[in-house]
Amino acid sequence: MAKQYDVLFRLLLIGDSGVGKTCLLCRFTDNEFHPSHISTIGVDFKMKTIEVDGIKVRIQIWDTAGQERYQTITKQYYRRAQGIFLVYDITSERSYQHIMKWASDVDEYAPDGVQKILIGNKADEEQKRQVGKNQGMKLAEEYGMDFFETSACTNYNIKESFTRLTELVLMAHKRELEGLRMSSADELNLAELEDDGSKSDGMANSSKSCWC
Amino acid sequence: MDQSFAIQDTLEKGDTCLVAVQGILVSPYTNESRLVGLVKNRETLAIFLYKHRRMAICADDVSLDEIIPLAEGVIIQQVMPAEGFYVIGTDVTLRIKSLDIDIVMQLPFGSHTQEFLRRVNQPIQEGLPAFPSQQFVWLRKYWQRNIPSVNSLFLNNMNYEEERQLSGLDINLVSDLEADKMAMNGQWIKANERVDPSRSPQMSVRHNKTTFTDLVRSADVLSANKAEMVPFTKFGLRDNLIKSELLKNEDTYISIQNYRFFVGTYNVNGQSPRESLQTWLSQDSEPPDLYCIGFQELDLSKEAFFFNDTPKEEEWFKAVSDGLHPEAKYAKIKLIRLVGIMLLLYVKKELAVHVSEVEAETVGTGIMGRMGNKGGVAIRFRFHNTHLCIVNSHLAAHVDEFERRNQDFREICSRMQFAQADPTLSPLTIHKHDVVLWLGDLNYRLKDIELEKVKKLIDSRDYKTLHKFDQLKQQIDGKAVFEGFTEGEIMFQPTYKYDPGTDEWDTSEKCRTPAWCDRVLWKGKHITQLEYRSHMALKTSDHKPVSSLFDIGVKVVNEELYKKTFEEIVRCLDKMENDCIPSAALSQREFHFKDVKYRQLQVQTFTIHNDGQVACQFEFIRKLDEESYSKPWLRANPSKGFLTPGSSMQIELEVFVNNQTAAALNAAEEKIEDILILHLDRGKDFFLSVTGNYLHSCFGSSIQMLCYMNGYMRDTSEETITQLAQMPLQMKDNFLGAEKPAKIPKELWMMVDHLYRNASQQEDLFQQPGLMSEFEAIRDCLDSGYPESLPGSNHSVVEALLLFLEALPEPVICYQSYQKCLESIGDYSSSKEVVSMLPLHHKNVFKYLISFLQEMLNNSEKNHLDIKILASIFGNLLLRPPPDLPKPSNSDKRRCQEFVQQFLQPEDP
Repeated sequence: MAKQYDVLFRLLLIGDSGVGKTCLLCRFTDNEFHPSHISTIGVDFKMKTIEVDGIKVRIQIWDTAGQERYQTITKQYYRRAQGIFLVYDITSERSYQHIMKWASDVDEYAPDGVQKILIGNKADEEQKRQVGKNQGMKLAEEYGMDFFETSACTNYNIKESFTRLTELVLMAHKRELEGLRMSSADELNLAELEDDGSKSDGMANSSKSCWC
Repeated sequence: MDQSFAIQDTLEKGDTCLVAVQGILVSPYTNESRLVGLVKNRETLAIFLYKHRRMAICADDVSLDEIIPLAEGVIIQQVMPAEGFYVIGTDVTLRIKSLDIDIVMQLPFGSHTQEFLRRVNQPIQEGLPAFPSQQFVWLRKYWQRNIPSVNSLFLNNMNYEEERQLSGLDINLVSDLEADKMAMNGQWIKANERVDPSRSPQMSVRHNKTTFTDLVRSADVLSANKAEMVPFTKFGLRDNLIKSELLKNEDTYISIQNYRFFVGTYNVNGQSPRESLQTWLSQDSEPPDLYCIGFQELDLSKEAFFFNDTPKEEEWFKAVSDGLHPEAKYAKIKLIRLVGIMLLLYVKKELAVHVSEVEAETVGTGIMGRMGNKGGVAIRFRFHNTHLCIVNSHLAAHVDEFERRNQDFREICSRMQFAQADPTLSPLTIHKHDVVLWLGDLNYRLKDIELEKVKKLIDSRDYKTLHKFDQLKQQIDGKAVFEGFTEGEIMFQPTYKYDPGTDEWDTSEKCRTPAWCDRVLWKGKHITQLEYRSHMALKTSDHKPVSSLFDIGVKVVNEELYKKTFEEIVRCLDKMENDCIPSAALSQREFHFKDVKYRQLQVQTFTIHNDGQVACQFEFIRKLDEESYSKPWLRANPSKGFLTPGSSMQIELEVFVNNQTAAALNAAEEKIEDILILHLDRGKDFFLSVTGNYLHSCFGSSIQMLCYMNGYMRDTSEETITQLAQMPLQMKDNFLGAEKPAKIPKELWMMVDHLYRNASQQEDLFQQPGLMSEFEAIRDCLDSGYPESLPGSNHSVVEALLLFLEALPEPVICYQSYQKCLESIGDYSSSKEVVSMLPLHHKNVFKYLISFLQEMLNNSEKNHLDIKILASIFGNLLLRPPPDLPKPSNSDKRRCQEFVQQFLQPEDP
């Protein structure tokens, strides 16, 4: 008989300052929305449990500072993620252009096999739109990513996008999950939480493996 | 290194050590090193634990301590640290549990461990062979040879297995029953089986043969088919929380739905079925949803009593199956029997998927209070979300033994215990069920009434009056038995005792008074009795069967509402968890340090306040690829700490530019700019940004730059400074156009000239320290040109001079000449030669300083200076070993002093 088990993932939100990363997180975890923008200076996380295909997944979602001056520092958090949201603001052409840079940072700093998803946020602000939906789709296709336009304000596509990325991560770790299903371990901990950033060197490759 | 060779060395031919890891066996008393090997023989694996005396190389280094066959029931799980997370790169802690072993091992992080885990995990995934079995006989030789005492338990088993083999029996056919027998003999107890040692061996055998052809489907299908069951999942503390919350909020997602239960009891007096049971079981027009059928005195033979084996079981099972309502199909859920007491549970085929968690148990209360001629059997199960327990009992006989019957009831209640799926939970008792249906030959009689009067009341159908003489009623009214249970009104004549084959009352010698021996009682909510009756048509026994028809309201889960409740609970838990993430607030996140000066401490403070619900530990952590959490000129004090909820702490950020950090800042290679990461343990990270402007200073600037600098440091633009800083050391004079460089830095000249003019006769010059405040004024004067003459005492100027020399990024004797200088000692002319090879401005400074010192020595009567003192001070300022060399030894320092001393000696006449 299959054992009951639990999976823990770490997902990361990145993108320019002000695209709404913190709002996406708040909407998803607390179903709250605060329209005023307070810059995230640092990295913060929240936990959320969702069920995907009958598997109870606990996800730890990391919200990062988008400001340019912190980017060299936020990069060091990439290697601990199994899934990454690349977020731009559909009312900001600039934030969309910067996705390229964010994506190349991900390639450089995130572990191999990290799952990515492109998010065009603020979809409710149609009158201020600078980036067409097809532009987003095109870019996503170029990078081989799934794409969602979302609105943290109207709660549009929030759950869907988080669930989708979780699914992608689950699929990418199917082998470990199957192993777990048969073994007697209680919990698959994909997001081994390092207690500080100082323990780094050379762990990037092993960071996504469970014990099996 | 690979230590599997040492293990392989100890193994017999045919056995292979796949992988070996050196780990630590964790016990509450000591932690001991063990060599862990995974050993393979054909298709089976075993974990061998060895004591070892060093890094094991050969068999002599190790001694076998424990063997754990990788067999069914072995559990290997990774133990998570208390926080629930583990840090990759740290040790892997494993808990290994088998039938008689429960150990915790720490294995080092690394490829051997990974390999070990992978190899162990694979067979676990594929399914482990049963133990004991023939496949593991190969282990016997090791047990016998190495650890004869420890595992005698296993050894016995292996013997047992081998004997079986020798006697030509097919080992593969060892059934559950065999396992049970082993349990009886005390040789082997299944890990998850609870055995009550007080029970008589015979009685503890659980007879659960499944050789019967089930009517529709086997009971095994049920437990596996849980798709429709509410998914109560196992998931540690969090899971238990969810579970208890779900239970608390059950009303929000369940509705009560009635299901019809047929409950029958029949004491068959040891007879075989001779007539159809339909008149008992299928009397009603509508087929019931569930059947709970109990028998007593199924078999009165000695064989049944002593060996619990009877052909009657199958006969009556078949008779019941044939007698079930013809308009529905039923699945047998469970059959349980203790000697002559048997209970059968059937459910409509289409309802079978809603039945789960089926457990059956028996309790004997007969001879010696233990035997199975009297007692009870019970089946507990979950139907939708309601937990039910059906008990069939045969209590003590004889009119006067009602106290004994009460005691039997209590015995059954206390000793009937059902194991739970989660072995950590205590076993369930009868009363812990939502619904209890109790049937059986309870054997209570009519008391204090003459036989004739009984018969007269029966004839007049005055059961109400007769019931007053019923012992069970009296005992219940006196709260002596069946407390909390209800019985319906009895509207049928006593079911005992008839002449078999007739409806005539007992005509035997004993001429028993009729009695309502056979009863059905219930306990629980939402139960309506529709019928309570006897079935006179059946004449096989000296009892008549009784049946009761119930409508029982069962808690049915509304999947949608359940999901909603479940999600709400999970959401609340997530919220709780998020609230328990350590949290803190900082009074300030950006810090600007204005006009940072050489050797002048600046401090800014901020407050960290724990605004979370849990204690938090904070620490400044280093950034990727950096050695320290901050730039060398910056320090946080304290850099780590602990805050209880609600408490605050002040943290000081200190900026201090010293000799080591001044050069890069002066050369504009480095700015007052840093981002600190303040990390909360198990929580978020704050980024603190530190900015500032640095006032360039001659302290920490190069001789060359100062020579070429037109004007004062603070008036010079950043670009000029950058340009000057990039100048090569040896260069032509025409750099920067027509501007002629100064021969020596004017700042040096200002200090030396000041001393020359004011301090040559100063007592204790170079021996007394200066004042910090005066030094700061001198520094500002040198860097800005204001005031015109140097402030402060002579001692402070000396202090500034020494600091100036100490802070030079390239000492007066350039690094590359350092070694040559040391080598030239004793040969003054070659020492002079080395000096003459210095870059122009360095040479100038050296000569200028030497002549200044000589001038000072000329006044030694007043200022008490001598060559030794000056050489010891200046030797180690003018000569410094290059930064890539180790710090100078005392003898090196002495040689530096000797070098300078040569130049201070009066010239030979």
